[in-house]
Amino acid sequence: MPAKPDPKVPMHRFAFTKLTESQIGTALAKVAATGPASASPRTDALKGKTIRIVTDKGGPTLAYRFTADNRLTVSENGGKAVAAGYGALVQDRITLFTHLIPGTLRGYGVVIDTASNIATVVELWFGGYQDKREVMREIYAGYVETAGKAAPAGRHVATNRFEGKGFYWKQDTGYETLEYYPSAAYSHFVELTGRGDELGFCGPSDYIQIDDEFYIITRTECEFSGTFTLSVVDLNRQEQIGLRLGFDRTDALDYYVFRGRGEWLGQIAQFEKLGDTAGGVIPIPEGGGKGARRVYRPLQTMPKMSKAEVAAAVAKGSRVFAPRTGAGSGAAGMATHGTPAVDGLAGKSFTIRYDGGPVMDYRVASIDTLEWRKDGGAWVKARYQAWEPMPGVFLFGHLLEGAPDHDGHSIVADFDNGLVTCFNGFLNTPYIANEAGARTLFGVLEGAGIPDPGARRHARTRDMLGRALTWNYAPGLSSMHLYSTPTTTSWIIFTDSGAGGMEWSGPGDFVKIRDGLYFVYWLEEACNGTLGTIVINMRTMHDAGIGYHCGTEGLSMSQVGAHARHAGLFDVQRFFPKQEG
Amino acid sequence: MSNDREPTRRAFLKGGAVLAAPLALATPAVAIAADDRAERLRRLEDEAAIRALHRDWLRRVNGGADAAGLFVDARAARCLDAAVCGLTGDPAASADTIEIAADGRRASGRFLCVVETQSRIAPESTLAQMALAQGGGVVRERARRLVSADYVKAGERWAIAGITLREA
Repeated sequence: MPAKPDPKVPMHRFAFTKLTESQIGTALAKVAATGPASASPRTDALKGKTIRIVTDKGGPTLAYRFTADNRLTVSENGGKAVAAGYGALVQDRITLFTHLIPGTLRGYGVVIDTASNIATVVELWFGGYQDKREVMREIYAGYVETAGKAAPAGRHVATNRFEGKGFYWKQDTGYETLEYYPSAAYSHFVELTGRGDELGFCGPSDYIQIDDEFYIITRTECEFSGTFTLSVVDLNRQEQIGLRLGFDRTDALDYYVFRGRGEWLGQIAQFEKLGDTAGGVIPIPEGGGKGARRVYRPLQTMPKMSKAEVAAAVAKGSRVFAPRTGAGSGAAGMATHGTPAVDGLAGKSFTIRYDGGPVMDYRVASIDTLEWRKDGGAWVKARYQAWEPMPGVFLFGHLLEGAPDHDGHSIVADFDNGLVTCFNGFLNTPYIANEAGARTLFGVLEGAGIPDPGARRHARTRDMLGRALTWNYAPGLSSMHLYSTPTTTSWIIFTDSGAGGMEWSGPGDFVKIRDGLYFVYWLEEACNGTLGTIVINMRTMHDAGIGYHCGTEGLSMSQVGAHARHAGLFDVQRFFPKQEG
Repeated sequence: MSNDREPTRRAFLKGGAVLAAPLALATPAVAIAADDRAERLRRLEDEAAIRALHRDWLRRVNGGADAAGLFVDARAARCLDAAVCGLTGDPAASADTIEIAADGRRASGRFLCVVETQSRIAPESTLAQMALAQGGGVVRERARRLVSADYVKAGERWAIAGITLREA
């Protein structure tokens, strides 16, 4: 089973070993003869059988002879038969088996619907990508040849019919996950630890429909361990059988078949045209070879800067609420549908006292200029912008010029209640210097006519947990947020057809400001490094937000604003114990 | 809008009437009628030729073909924004207008069209980068526009002198 998740070093922070093909081959050789492990009894339904599987479009023809309940011989495309270990499980009329090809870095997973003899063959191999530990896959549709019978006409097909579902799964290994399928090309998974502070992660997925009840789902943990998981999901019984192949964070080989029992978490909306059930929604790159697909690899593509490079970039000049801040500048361009900035703070003077944090004094001169001072220090002039997402509640943001970590404050101030929450962005985190970190500060607002809240504060909330909201920032720029854990924001990018496409995620925080009004952030850790902060008004279904980002072009703060739609709610509260604060 | 550059059809007709009046003093009625019919026929043939030229231009724009050969100056053929990928006549529009100058050598046309544009979003944010990475990030828009065209007759052939698009 997978190594236990370590909340202190989450998946995106773990430095997975760059395994060599030789190391991988040595590990595979040990299990190629025995077949995969299994916590549940493996089926002997195939023992003594001989089958030939034919696949379409240049795929392999596989001739099997199952000599025992864990031994087979296989001939690929009429070649010499080789002996290997295998493991098989049966779920109703679905049979799943998997084996490796001894002496190679390859193997297969095969799913057969024994009622129709239609089969899906998944070829698996290591070494095909630059990170050799990442499992590659190619999927072939086909059937089991039956003497004297014509080939069945139907095939298992790529589909979007699984999109929008969510399940809690517990494998017979004890491995527990929440799995969200808000995309037709990616999935989002949370390895449950019982602590309540889990992060969710994303991986490219395949969704193949066997029929209305059974689906084949795959996930490859690209950018992380590279592990591949395939499961056949029985929607009505909420059960799964599957296989897992990969190397865990201790570089131990995971190769096993599993059974899992699930709990239904819900179904959120899909945004394709009615009647569109097409799968394979992300086009395969032109000229791509076997196993080619588009995979989002943000760690590879983001510019990574040192602390000195960050200081130099910031010294070049910061851009605060500039109309456009240029390529790669975080949240720029995400405000075409934003609300206009307001001048409601102009002329006001007030103080914010953060609990365990700084005391910030403000003198606001105009719609875009204020002065701030921290802990009674010198006044500093800064450019800012403000929005009023609900009467009396202002979101405003500014950079703290001169701060050693180039801090930026995104502040929600409720003047009717004297309460403040700040998402304090900063740079020079221990991992990548230009990646934003965030701390959440709660406090009170003091000034003429502002009521004293006493001990009351804004507080973290679970109201957003499990929700999915779409955001349309500008023509052609839409996404969907999925608040998958109390500390995770995931984002899904729609394809042109409205299907969920690529998905990624990062840490998040969720604060209730008023009924129907929430202050939320997403943090693009190990992924461009942007801190996105938004006030979500669940009544107007609009947000007002501020992005904070540092790249080679410098430090920027920019407006975020989009129209929202409520895509639905997954019922996941019970999986996360309440935590105070 | 000024008509300095674009003589109107009314101007053409007025010019024609002024030219015809002296002839009426000395020419038999039958001859006048024959001239008028010939003039009207020529005008109808010119209008038909210009409409055909406009249709040819639309076909080339929509087919992504080179339209330079339809223009007096090939440089004027680059009159559309690079984002324009389609241009179709607006079926809901009132009749298009073609006005031919009195000299019969110049003309102007106004056509209501639906313009389709297609442009890639800039990779300014993570979301935009992801949209582009998955093969999307293309913004397609449709808008009604008024196509104003100037035409010149060179020999017996009409050619496009220039085309501008503006909000309808």
